Amino acid sequence: MTNDVIREAVAKQQSGDRKLAADNSILGKVMTFNIGEQVYGIEIQYVTEIIGMQRITKVPHVPDYIKGIINVRSKVVPIVDIRTRFGKPEIPYTSRTCIITLSFNDISVGIIVDSVADVEDIHTGDISATPQNKNVNENEFIQYMIRGENDNTKLILDVAKLLDEQEA
Amino acid sequence: MAKIESGMEAMLDMYFFETNGLLEQLDEILLRTEQANAFEDDDIKEIFRIMHTIKGSSAMMGFDNLSVLAHKAEDMFFVIRENPDVITDVSFVYDLVFQVSDSYKAQIEALQNNINGEYEQMNFDELIDKLIKARDKLTSEASGEAQPEQSGTAAGTASIGAAPVQGGKTTVRVFFEDGSQMENLRAFLLVNTIREECSFLEYTPEDIESNAETAKEIIENGFVVSFTANDGKDDYVLKLIEGAMNVQSYEVLANAPQTDKKDSASAETPKAEIPPEPAKELKTEKTAQSKTAAKASAKSANKSDEKTSVEKAQAAVASANSGAAQKQSLISVNLAKLDALHDIVGEIITTESMVISNPDLEGLELESFNKAARDLKKLTGELQDTVMSIRMVPLAGVFQKMNRIVRDMRKKLGRDVDFVLEGEDTEVDKSIVDNLQDPLMHLVRNSMDHGIGEEDPEERTRLGKPEKGTIRLSAQNASGEVIITVSDDGAGIDPERIMAKAKKMGLLTKPESEYTDKEIQNMILLPGFSTNEVVTEFSGRGVGMDVVKSNIEKCGGQIIVDSKKGEGTNFIIKIPLTMAIIDGMEITVGGLVFTVPISTIRESFKVEPGQLLNDTGGKEMIMIRGVVYPILRLHEKFSIETEVTDLMDGILLLVETDNKSMCIFADKLIGEQQVVVKPFPKYLSRYNIKGEGLSGCTIMGDGSISLIIDTNLLIG
Repeated sequence: MTNDVIREAVAKQQSGDRKLAADNSILGKVMTFNIGEQVYGIEIQYVTEIIGMQRITKVPHVPDYIKGIINVRSKVVPIVDIRTRFGKPEIPYTSRTCIITLSFNDISVGIIVDSVADVEDIHTGDISATPQNKNVNENEFIQYMIRGENDNTKLILDVAKLLDEQEA
Repeated sequence: MAKIESGMEAMLDMYFFETNGLLEQLDEILLRTEQANAFEDDDIKEIFRIMHTIKGSSAMMGFDNLSVLAHKAEDMFFVIRENPDVITDVSFVYDLVFQVSDSYKAQIEALQNNINGEYEQMNFDELIDKLIKARDKLTSEASGEAQPEQSGTAAGTASIGAAPVQGGKTTVRVFFEDGSQMENLRAFLLVNTIREECSFLEYTPEDIESNAETAKEIIENGFVVSFTANDGKDDYVLKLIEGAMNVQSYEVLANAPQTDKKDSASAETPKAEIPPEPAKELKTEKTAQSKTAAKASAKSANKSDEKTSVEKAQAAVASANSGAAQKQSLISVNLAKLDALHDIVGEIITTESMVISNPDLEGLELESFNKAARDLKKLTGELQDTVMSIRMVPLAGVFQKMNRIVRDMRKKLGRDVDFVLEGEDTEVDKSIVDNLQDPLMHLVRNSMDHGIGEEDPEERTRLGKPEKGTIRLSAQNASGEVIITVSDDGAGIDPERIMAKAKKMGLLTKPESEYTDKEIQNMILLPGFSTNEVVTEFSGRGVGMDVVKSNIEKCGGQIIVDSKKGEGTNFIIKIPLTMAIIDGMEITVGGLVFTVPISTIRESFKVEPGQLLNDTGGKEMIMIRGVVYPILRLHEKFSIETEVTDLMDGILLLVETDNKSMCIFADKLIGEQQVVVKPFPKYLSRYNIKGEGLSGCTIMGDGSISLIIDTNLLIG
């Protein structure tokens, strides 16, 4: 989703106009997954597939969070551990640990997540912007948030930033 | 903006492919004949045929401007073909035809970039005008001298074409291969092929050349041809039909009784019976022309018309015959299909090893299974090799195109150069070949303009160089890379001028004195850099070199400038073979598998006590047969944890490139394997993995990944 769409959705809710705020159309779908207790989401159009954990070939001279490369049907895909990327402690991989492969602008990356949760609709009314105080390491990769039931907020990742980050 | 006719989109690809192929063929003929400085008869016919085919298919696609252009070029060549001696000013004809070819390419590019069928229709009026003038000039020149000869041959050929129209005719229904597209044109080609052999020829649908709608009819009902063969050689004509391009099958509807063989042919045979529809069109086209052309009698004009159709058929037969042999051994395939095939083969091999080394089979006595498995392995190996080789294409195609650039530059700069091609057979992955064309074009232009162009012949003689400059384009395979060099023996790059320019433009990033000559030379690759004060048509805009650099980097390569003032310039391009297959030696370090290109391995051995030395800095060395080599521990180099740290326990590989050698230390050898080099994923390109001595990775038989060592960088 473009930032404009998100801004518009947020603006609608804050406009005070009841008619606008009541607009609860579906904007798309997200796939949600867990890292620890927190639920994250990725818009479905970026998700190529979900595969089980497999042996990762380490690659030298890359940051810690790049765990290496794997072979996904004859394609070599780099693997990023989201935990390490977000500065969370590593935990041993379990049978629920999954690799979600994403692609954006010809770049493919697999991310390691604790477990995959669900696929759900994004409603305009549930979207909220990320808080402005970006002290948390991971915040820069969160594009927006979705409020769920019981105040269960899902953080939607900015795939473009995650995959295309310009840092050496 | 013009619009592509609806319903034609599906055929566009086919049209582009065919037309581009024909244009390339045209360029090739022109370049070849221009060097010989004379048109051969066959060449003229071939050019005529190319123009004719382009005219036909463009008209069918509704590209009127292209069709008219081809038509006019065809007209001009018609005159030339009839009177090969009229060309007094050869270069004038060449320039015209090259212009036609370029206009075509430009318009086709515009068409290919169409947006929702909208495209910019170019105006060729000026060029068409030139062509008409050229034709008229040629005809007037021809009218005097060539007339007697013409009527002579016309009479001769007429008697061949006009066999007795007696006896029955054979009717066949021809079906073309499914999906061969443009069936009407295929039918037209077929008619052309057999026309010469027939004294009578009729077919339905009739207006195949001009009416694209007939394609549908042909698909549904087949293409019905009735003919009477010369001298009763019906079988021969049927064979021609059977062997024609894209013909799937044919059925004989009515058979001709054997006709009496009459060998004397009457030139008086009513003409209307012989050439059907397309020739009629041809006749009307040509009448106006023949009036001015040969002021012959109406009769001989008629004959010359007849000759046209006959000769056209001859040309078509000749080209179909010579073309058939080559074309049948080559087919064009969509690259995406090859990629898919490649992926599937990869999966098969992975799955195969999953089956064969399945844990469930462990400990079982499986004699016949093992034998079958071995056979399977051998076959899949062959399958893989074959698929790999499919994607590799020789560089010759791209290299040949540079001929054209050099030709144009020669003309414009008025300087003669020798253009030498070397190693055109070097094979590179198809996608890389496509990416190389533009950079090479820029570099060749650059060598012409900045290199050769900046020295006049006198200066060259003064410097002891041959008066004629040389540009050399060469390619070679070298340890998993293709090295392409564009070199000239021109003026070379003057470091001082580059420095001054760079200073003026504020491109320096460190003190002037710290720059080495090499660094200075490579500054010409920076964006916006051009030392040519005068902007010529070919170079000097400063957009070329950085585009070259980025294009080459896009396909994972690198470019180096190596120049000496006064001696010439070399541009060295190193391109990895993305899909290249190398013979590799698999070694393990810790849990990782590495592949070392076998071409760089001299030997592998276990260390014996007493061979090891330490230099004063504590560096490990080894003495082999009196020569001391440094040792590189792979586990240290790539920071891998391994249990094998004692040199005695592991294995040493003595590797060598460019006369430099060293020993690399690994845990153990696994074995030799042919591997497919894959580049590292794009996401990782921002990290300097390549610079650290890994050139890529490869997927092994069991599906795991091995990293390929770049021996060159490891040593350097």
